[in-house]
Amino acid sequence: MRKLHRSSLLLVTAGILLWTSLTWAQPAAPAPAAPAPAAAPAAAAPAPITVDDLKGVTAPTAEKRAAGDPDGALTGTVADVVVADTKAGLTIADLANQAGQNRVAINFVWTLVCGFLVMFMQAGFALVETGLCRAKNANHTMMMNFMVYGVGLAAYWLIGFAIQMGGVGALGTLGGTPVLNGEYSITLFDKAFGLWGQQGIMLGGTTYDVAVMVMFLFQMVFMDTTLTIVTGTAAERWRFSTFLVSSFFMGALTYPMFANWAWGGGWLALLGGNFGLGHGYADFAGSGVVHSVGGITALALGIIVGPRIGKYNRDGSPNPILGHDIVIVLTGCFILAFGWFGFNPGSTLAASGNGALRIGSVAVNTMLAGMTGAFGAMFYMWGRYGKPDASMTGNGLLAGLVAITAPSGFVNPMSSVIIGLVAGLLVCLSVEFVDRVMRVDDPVGAISVHGANGIWGVIAVGLFADGKSNYGGSWNGVAGSVTGLFYGDTGQLVAQLIGVSTLVGLVFVWSFGLNWILDMTMGQRVSAEVELEGLDIPEMGALGYPEFELKPQSINTH
Amino acid sequence: MAIIGLLVTLLGFIISVASLGMASSVDARLGMTLLGLAVSLGGIIGMINPAFQKNAIWKK
Repeated sequence: MRKLHRSSLLLVTAGILLWTSLTWAQPAAPAPAAPAPAAAPAAAAPAPITVDDLKGVTAPTAEKRAAGDPDGALTGTVADVVVADTKAGLTIADLANQAGQNRVAINFVWTLVCGFLVMFMQAGFALVETGLCRAKNANHTMMMNFMVYGVGLAAYWLIGFAIQMGGVGALGTLGGTPVLNGEYSITLFDKAFGLWGQQGIMLGGTTYDVAVMVMFLFQMVFMDTTLTIVTGTAAERWRFSTFLVSSFFMGALTYPMFANWAWGGGWLALLGGNFGLGHGYADFAGSGVVHSVGGITALALGIIVGPRIGKYNRDGSPNPILGHDIVIVLTGCFILAFGWFGFNPGSTLAASGNGALRIGSVAVNTMLAGMTGAFGAMFYMWGRYGKPDASMTGNGLLAGLVAITAPSGFVNPMSSVIIGLVAGLLVCLSVEFVDRVMRVDDPVGAISVHGANGIWGVIAVGLFADGKSNYGGSWNGVAGSVTGLFYGDTGQLVAQLIGVSTLVGLVFVWSFGLNWILDMTMGQRVSAEVELEGLDIPEMGALGYPEFELKPQSINTH
Repeated sequence: MAIIGLLVTLLGFIISVASLGMASSVDARLGMTLLGLAVSLGGIIGMINPAFQKNAIWKK
């Protein structure tokens, strides 16, 4: 009866939210026609700045500056404007150049600091994954999360960045540098299909450029997020040497390939301009590019590497294998939620101009969806199993964040709440499906958190984008704002679904084939003896917790 | 069986992309894309995964 009561509460809550969403989704009723205003005199065009305008501009006197500036009124004045010719003094050109550099500097600093935040997410992933694994594999799991950063960076520097961004064209918000101009395309259905970029290998030649460096750092940490998703699914049984090779190919080829199609000027981005499908595949910060690519590859690897010993009984029923430290799991979730403020708002690649002031909306959308994701998962687990499971609540938070990543720049706060709530429920259902129906062992739930909810996020753009965003007046070269089905554009949903089909149908096959070959040549899985002993000593040579007394594993084989 | 499953999964993607050239209306493209997605999911869940489960460690 109590369970029935809880379920009813959940249904009523979901119903209220759905109703509220649809209310928000209705186009606003047209306002009654206002009486025509009386003819006003034509407004005079603003006068251009002249040399005379500079005559009244004076710098603080040396005496004033010598007294210090406790209230900040004397710091950052005309005296700080860089003058090209000191003999000529301050000119209009000096002011214009300073304004332009200030804008680009703001965008550089914003993008870099956000990139630093995303880099710190590696620590969050490491804690979540290690905490959800057993103590006997702590060193191995931590080392995979540690070295995936270096392996990914090396692969991306060598060739990955060039494949992804080598044909993207001018980086508008970062100064308009046009050196990344080598997209390789084929013609299909009489349209250009961009496949991969060709500029920027090892950041050499003309790509030795300040804007390219900023772009490289920001895109690199996104790529590394994708790679670290996979280590969670294959944890506790993945051979370390094969992990290194597999991750290298993912950072060099798999991720950059799809990222080019979505973000590098490739064919998915051009679905709007070429085929009239909304604004083409729109993925603001990477629900598809980052999280689904990681989750889909995790699914492929999970199938190949197989479940851990003891995970399933002979009748196929699953056994729970508990992680060793819920404290670091939830600490890791918090670190990830913090880093997500770099992930999503940073994807404007700007804090000045081109509609970049939406960074506040993007950040609020991000935190709202994370919140409802955690609530959705917690109440689902509470209602279904009687307790608010901590690890699934953490996964619910991450699921909400993953799902809002693609739509965060295109939707309103109410839609974010709904997207996150759906994600929180979806992650629980998906974990049960993967665990019990597919019988794919995923120790951390990465397939569900990142794969299933990444796809949900991509679809959510096609449903909830409200047409109010404006990033320089166009997206993917199509004028206007990204608008989803609920706001009148079915074409956008189709573009999103073609992106999903590419992930499920092509990225999966590529990742599966690559890892299958590695399985046949190097072997993906450690031996049963190593797995039972724990991977720390055989694979890494040292225990994660040498002063712990580890219990031998018992296997339930009824 | 796994190789056939991979081909079926890839076929789903091809159906979705083919919708760009074979159909001109948004609704037709939507239908073909959903069909392609279903085919791909069928290939993964219905063919590749069962093929790899045949010799699963828990069945031994």
